[in-house]
Amino acid sequence: MRIEAREITKKAGGRFLLRRVSMEIPAGGVSVVIGPNGAGKTTLLRILGMLDRPTAGRMVYDGGAADGLGVRGRTALRRRLGFVFQHPLLLNGTVLANMRHALALRKRPFEEERVEAALAAVGLAGKKGLDVRVLSGGEKQRLQLARAMLLDPEVLLADEPTSNLDPLSTRYIEDQLLALARAGKTIILATHNIVQARLLGGRLIFLNDGEIVQSGTPGQVLRNPATLDVAHFSSSTNVLNGRLIRTGEDACLEAGGAAIHVVTELAPGLVTAVLRPEDIILSREPFHSSARNILSGVVEAVDDLGMVVLVRVRCEGLLLGAAITRSSLQELDVRPGEPAVLTFKASAVLVFPV
Amino acid sequence: MAYFLEGLRQALKILFPPSREVLEIVGLSLFVSASATALAAVFAAPLGVFLSLVEFRGRRLVIGLLQTALAVPAVLIGLVVYILVSRRGLLGFFGLLFTPGAMILAQALLAFPIIAALTLAALKDKARDGRDLAYALGASRGRMLLTILRQGRFAFLAAMVAGFSRVLGETGMTLMVGGNIKGATRVMTTAISLETMKGNFEIGIALGLVLLVVALIVNVVLQWGQGK
Repeated sequence: MRIEAREITKKAGGRFLLRRVSMEIPAGGVSVVIGPNGAGKTTLLRILGMLDRPTAGRMVYDGGAADGLGVRGRTALRRRLGFVFQHPLLLNGTVLANMRHALALRKRPFEEERVEAALAAVGLAGKKGLDVRVLSGGEKQRLQLARAMLLDPEVLLADEPTSNLDPLSTRYIEDQLLALARAGKTIILATHNIVQARLLGGRLIFLNDGEIVQSGTPGQVLRNPATLDVAHFSSSTNVLNGRLIRTGEDACLEAGGAAIHVVTELAPGLVTAVLRPEDIILSREPFHSSARNILSGVVEAVDDLGMVVLVRVRCEGLLLGAAITRSSLQELDVRPGEPAVLTFKASAVLVFPV
Repeated sequence: MAYFLEGLRQALKILFPPSREVLEIVGLSLFVSASATALAAVFAAPLGVFLSLVEFRGRRLVIGLLQTALAVPAVLIGLVVYILVSRRGLLGFFGLLFTPGAMILAQALLAFPIIAALTLAALKDKARDGRDLAYALGASRGRMLLTILRQGRFAFLAAMVAGFSRVLGETGMTLMVGGNIKGATRVMTTAISLETMKGNFEIGIALGLVLLVVALIVNVVLQWGQGK
């Protein structure tokens, strides 16, 4: 189902939760609504999922406007949409009772094999008889997803389904979402987890303060963030507060006593810059390259992040983190207290007005 | 103390085996209060659900009025009902004054705000969660309401028990509109009040024990239901 939001505004308690949000979600594939807490993700998903009505604007499903529909029309539309809430909403009773209830609500016959299959897909096969009150948070969330899948909706909306979940439950849910997307379903996921957004791919819609700030593929958004808030999502390691002293071709940023070459058209003044740790090259000696920024400093800490190692280097008043692989670390053999050189391109520094 | 123990002995004699009169009084009490609770619940429980589900202009006002109604003295309700059902009153032609009907009406009015306010308080977010849950699964409006009823059944039960307990123990108002007529409108509380004033403690103690046992049974049933 193709879903369009046209100038959706939602106001509650005198406050704007959404401001003229327009977007188009194509049928099939994954769309990820990302943004900080309080950005309006839940409000937007509830409106897309026909659980709330917008204060102004119009929702359009497969070309048909939803605002003129009566109770029956709205129910018919809701039957094509599934919703997974951030805090699992379950019926008091057993796991099986919840599955039965979902089918009963839709006056569908109880088919044991389908129920078993849906529970098995989320790893709850042996827990049919358990009371939902004794399930862990992850199991509750998996049950919620299994219940939604049992009704086979065309569109599945999932509101931060894995926030606060352990890695195993997160994995089950991500796998199921991916499987549904591959089966041609439309998945709309709200998250504040950029890694999850990248994993599920599809289109990223960045929401902040009730407005869409940027949208595109995860790569586009992360490489070229439109605002500081978006940039913060891709990296919160190297955030530099400083003063832009020259702009244009020879733009230069002064931060922490260091002068950094940047590329920007902003007017000189106070700015915040973000530099992704992956964009910094770490070496023991300076080397000749086209990169315009070469800073010498002293290694302050080496943090093992699992996949990569973050080496924090103090250069004058700046503490910059460079992400390198474990094998590079072994080759370079840098330790805290030793000198190191950081090299990065002027264009790697993203500059935003304060 | 001795006369209390003597009264207790006499009271047990009255109860085992119970006299016809005692049975009638207990039966009428339970009938009137249960009917009043049921009558009030039919209107109060849906109001509680409505208030917890629907945002509308004036919602706060309605909730405020409901809370104020909780503080209205029973005797005032008795006065209003008396005026309504007395021969010259609005409902005079029903001839309800000094009948169980008038007592049920007055007790239902007393129970109404209790049941509505407690339903609202107990449901709080439960009603909205029930609606979200049902609508997310594509339920029709009727099925959505059934889901809320199912999720909130103990909230309703607890609210009804509180209302029932209140009206069963109500005396002054019931006396005003019922008249404490022997064999017709005499209930446990009005009988206790009358007999105690007459110095017949044993009947008062006997009926008091019955009231206590009823309260106990009702609350044990509620606890058992909630534990399940």
